[in-house]
Amino acid sequence: MKIAVPAQAPNLESAVSRRFGTAPYLIVADTATGAFEAVPNPGASAARGAGMQALVLALNEDVQAVLTRHCSPTVVEHLKAHDIQIVSGLTGTVGELLARYKRGELGPANVGRAGAQETMGLFAKTAWQAAMRQSCKEFGSMLPILAGVVLLVGLLRGFVPAAMLGRIFSGRVWRDTLCGACAGSLFAGNPVNSYVIGAELLKQGVSLFAVTALILAWVTVGLVQLPAEMAALGRKFAVLRNAACFVLALPLAVGTVLLLHWLSGFAP
Amino acid sequence: MNANHVANHKGRRLLKRVGFFPAFVLALYGIGGIVSPDKTVVALRTSANVLRTMSLPLVLVFAVMLLLNRFVRPARITGLLGRSAGWKAILMATGAGILSVGPVFAWYPLMRKLKQEGADQAPIAVFLYNRAVKLPILPVMVKYFGWAYVGILTLLTVLGSLVLGCAMRLVFRNR
Repeated sequence: MKIAVPAQAPNLESAVSRRFGTAPYLIVADTATGAFEAVPNPGASAARGAGMQALVLALNEDVQAVLTRHCSPTVVEHLKAHDIQIVSGLTGTVGELLARYKRGELGPANVGRAGAQETMGLFAKTAWQAAMRQSCKEFGSMLPILAGVVLLVGLLRGFVPAAMLGRIFSGRVWRDTLCGACAGSLFAGNPVNSYVIGAELLKQGVSLFAVTALILAWVTVGLVQLPAEMAALGRKFAVLRNAACFVLALPLAVGTVLLLHWLSGFAP
Repeated sequence: MNANHVANHKGRRLLKRVGFFPAFVLALYGIGGIVSPDKTVVALRTSANVLRTMSLPLVLVFAVMLLLNRFVRPARITGLLGRSAGWKAILMATGAGILSVGPVFAWYPLMRKLKQEGADQAPIAVFLYNRAVKLPILPVMVKYFGWAYVGILTLLTVLGSLVLGCAMRLVFRNR
């Protein structure tokens, strides 16, 4: 049976770490052989999600019990959902805790996954309830910001009519392509709208380069959705992804039109 | 502590929980309602339409999250979509992005969950980019721009998503 103990140093003499998520090491010990391994915890220096990273590490190591001083309720829920026994509120060295666990002082030493299989059937009510609770929590935390984005999309379309787009194009291909990407980044919503607007702009003499950049940026860049993306995936990821998509829209627009021209003799 | 203090404290807590962004948007609506009530009504109707189009994807996203929470261990997600999964993860994300429906923001809760449970940034970026390929409305695009244009744009979009995935992997390689 494998037991994980968050530790300050990579040895059995180390004190148990104050928190499971931010411990520098996880000592993974095998009660059958007495062997142990000190695995560096990737979440030790993480600003967010440290507990989840330590949890993933514990799951990868296939541990069946975690002995710790403190562990966040979310991680406790996940550990329980994966049939991993958790004993918290402990102090002392890693070696002492492992010895106490083996002697059965910290809980039944033989509780592992096999003992919990009965609660893990396909229709096990408690497991579904836990999953439902977790899903509602995760989903609910995003709802206010999603509502904000939906309202902002409406506001943008209500106050900035699409007809205004025609006025920003000057007839210069490169400038118009950039303007197309900018306009596409600002607008959001059903991509069919971008096709209709694009076709209308083509009739007005705007280049296909600009229209393609508009269509591409419309679906890949989202300035309006940026707050929601930052909340969900982090500021750095959201800003970099949107910036990269904006830049990518320009060569892809040029490439699409040039390829079309090359293949069919279509004049852009 | 008087009643005003308590009310202020409660207000700050509510604002913190709900978020400053939605409160800011509501404030914009308030200003819009004063400046141009007609346009504000149009904005509200448009928002209602957007909400209607995203209701089905939201239900789908919730169902996927529920199934993930019930049956899939974070380690499995790390194995399928983590850095070690390599091109397999990128290809899966490409397919899933093309097949996904609804507004992009409906998918953010699921993306956040996958990221928290070990998915790499590259497949998430690839998934979001491939949402640009809209299979159900391709015929509409063909009607406006022709088969050749749509074919080339779709192919380059998928290739572009792979370039984006590589770029994101390079940027986040030390994470």
